[in-house]
Amino acid sequence: MTTYTICVFTENSIGLLNKITIIFTRRRINIESLTVSETERKGISRFTIVIKHEKREEVEKLVRQIRKIIEVLAVFGYLNEDIVYNEIALFKISTPLNGKSVDVETINKIYKAWVVYWGLDYVVIEKTGTETEIFDFFKYIKPHGIIEFVRSGRVAVGKTPQGLIEYLPEEITEWEYYL
Amino acid sequence: MGNLLEIELKQETLIASAQENTVGNFLSGAQAMMECLLAEGVDNIFGYPGGAIMPTYDALYDYIDRIKHTLVRHEQGAGHAAQGYARVSGRTGVCLVTSGPGGTNLITPIADAIIDCTPLVCIVGQVKSTLLGTDAFQETDMIGVTTPVCKWNYQITDPDEVPEIMAKAFFIAKSGKPGPVVIDFARDAQAAKMTKAFSYKKVEKMVSYNPRVVPKQEQIEKAAELINKAKRPYILFGHGVLIADAMQELLDFVEKTDIPCASTLLGLSAMPNNHPNYMGWLGMHGMYAPNVMTDECDVLIAIGMRFDDRVTGDSTKFAPQARIVHIEIDPSEVEKIKKTEAPVIGDAKEALKMLFPLVKKGDFTGWKNEFRKLDVKEYDKVTLRDLNQEGKIKMAEVVALLSDKTNGEACIVVDVGQHQMVTARYYQFRKPNSFIASGGLGTMGFAIPASFGAKVGAPDREVVGIIGDGCFQMTIQELGTIAQSGLAVKMIILNNNFLGMVRQWQQLFFDNRYSFVELQNPDFITIAKGFGIDGHTCSERENLSDSLDKMLDSKKAYLLEVIVEKEENVFPMVPAGTSVSEIRLE
Repeated sequence: MTTYTICVFTENSIGLLNKITIIFTRRRINIESLTVSETERKGISRFTIVIKHEKREEVEKLVRQIRKIIEVLAVFGYLNEDIVYNEIALFKISTPLNGKSVDVETINKIYKAWVVYWGLDYVVIEKTGTETEIFDFFKYIKPHGIIEFVRSGRVAVGKTPQGLIEYLPEEITEWEYYL
Repeated sequence: MGNLLEIELKQETLIASAQENTVGNFLSGAQAMMECLLAEGVDNIFGYPGGAIMPTYDALYDYIDRIKHTLVRHEQGAGHAAQGYARVSGRTGVCLVTSGPGGTNLITPIADAIIDCTPLVCIVGQVKSTLLGTDAFQETDMIGVTTPVCKWNYQITDPDEVPEIMAKAFFIAKSGKPGPVVIDFARDAQAAKMTKAFSYKKVEKMVSYNPRVVPKQEQIEKAAELINKAKRPYILFGHGVLIADAMQELLDFVEKTDIPCASTLLGLSAMPNNHPNYMGWLGMHGMYAPNVMTDECDVLIAIGMRFDDRVTGDSTKFAPQARIVHIEIDPSEVEKIKKTEAPVIGDAKEALKMLFPLVKKGDFTGWKNEFRKLDVKEYDKVTLRDLNQEGKIKMAEVVALLSDKTNGEACIVVDVGQHQMVTARYYQFRKPNSFIASGGLGTMGFAIPASFGAKVGAPDREVVGIIGDGCFQMTIQELGTIAQSGLAVKMIILNNNFLGMVRQWQQLFFDNRYSFVELQNPDFITIAKGFGIDGHTCSERENLSDSLDKMLDSKKAYLLEVIVEKEENVFPMVPAGTSVSEIRLE
């Protein structure tokens, strides 16, 4: 199984999430993570969708099917080595009065994670990184007692010097999609 | 649809008309919709009124001299009629139905239109925008329900949106690879006034949707190079040729290069059947030579077709030796099924025009003769048996005789099943846009409403629906629509008292276990007469010719029921999922 990151640029309109995800459903492809936000250009949304698949050709077909949706402006498919990507995770860690205290220095220096909230008998730690880095930290912090753990979907930018948004038309130009 | 809210609606209408006198002269959303239809040149729509679409029907009342509306008997009929209309005329079919069941009844035609690339604009009423999501009376989430089966959909909740959205709707439906567009029109947006004067600007391009019509020169050059090098080239053309109106360009191309060609089921009638380079059509029940020769060609030129599984059988074994040129307007179709060496993304008409000067004159007499040799085998094994005039009347002889009597110039609308395949085999098409069938979805019940729609779209042509006895009963109520319209739609039921194609499969692949395929049919002629349509039954061979004459001579709609052989099978046949080399002739 290879991990693919699919970036979809769309007009910001109601119901579009459904129009995109339904294409994955129809082809029986499971979505590992999905993140949507507005881009640096107003009115244009960016979907970052992570999937695992065995066949590159099937992913190419999927990319072309997504491109076919009327409101979709462009679709880019990437392998992990083509992108810089991260996720963010929040850990709510139990810190009872008599319990083991968290080692903030190790957390900061070794794991590059930060305590972002101090509660009465818990702390919230924010960890940004790849899935592997987050799970390494997960393993480290687990003995303290995880009350709650949440991880975001992946966000990614390409390693090319230009921004993807440069591929989007001001007006009408010819479109390409890359994989 | 029955309406429990009639009283409430009446009151609303009163309030609305009272407001008209006090507010400015701007159009209501519903009136704006009518103006949009006029601006797009729509002169025929098919529909069925109901609660949530009433303001639009009220507006339509002022436009009935310019927009002819046909009241169908079931919304599915409206959809298929619009499809028949679109397919015969090349224009966009328009349906107007109410919310809830009105919309859901339209789902089958929408799904049919997306897979057969038929341009439709379906205007569906919706509950008031303030009631959305509350399970209001006749509320169905039409955007959610239609998203997987339509090209585009949009919910209008503000009358000011109407012109822009409708201009987009018509552009999207007709351009690129055509398809159905669904407009979910909230009732309050229909009734409310616009806040500005109506103005309509046709859409010709959109930022996010701008299908390529003219192919790239380098793709054309690569394709031409491959075609020019071929020793045994073979053209497969499909529905895309008809959609792009590229019939003449195809003929020019074929006549210059002398390449033999075959049609897909939906490409039928794009080229006259009597053309010397036309080898027939291919597919599961297509002809022998066109199927088998896919294994012999060295270059396969696919034009406006998509390698459907009913064409390829097992696609991994389909033309494995061939280098493929694929002319196709939808980039997502290229390499979806077959590896393609020279894709040409663009409109078939433009592509063939650009290819024409680059391809060299050819003479493939020897190669074409190989097809003709196989034709002899098919004639001996299949055609002779189909037309041997022994026993009960066979479907094939009815179609062959009809073909002679109409000189191959009628517009033939078929339903789905054995009669469909037999018609495709034995009708000798001479004119384009003459074979209208539900190909991709295989929708039984398509033909009665689609024949009607085709007659509306081409009133001067002879339109003949050829329909199975099972299919006929799926949309039998549309006989009422035909009768009320007064149009001379001709219909032939090929009655074998079976769901023939399923029965054939049960016989061949399920050990003769006939599981629920025999029908106890009604007296079709009595039913037709009840609707006000004349007709008669023919069960003897000696009456067949006169029966067809009587039907064709009728100035009004006419139903001819022909009792045919009960357990006849359609051959050739490429069993599902096998390769064309496993084609069966008996």
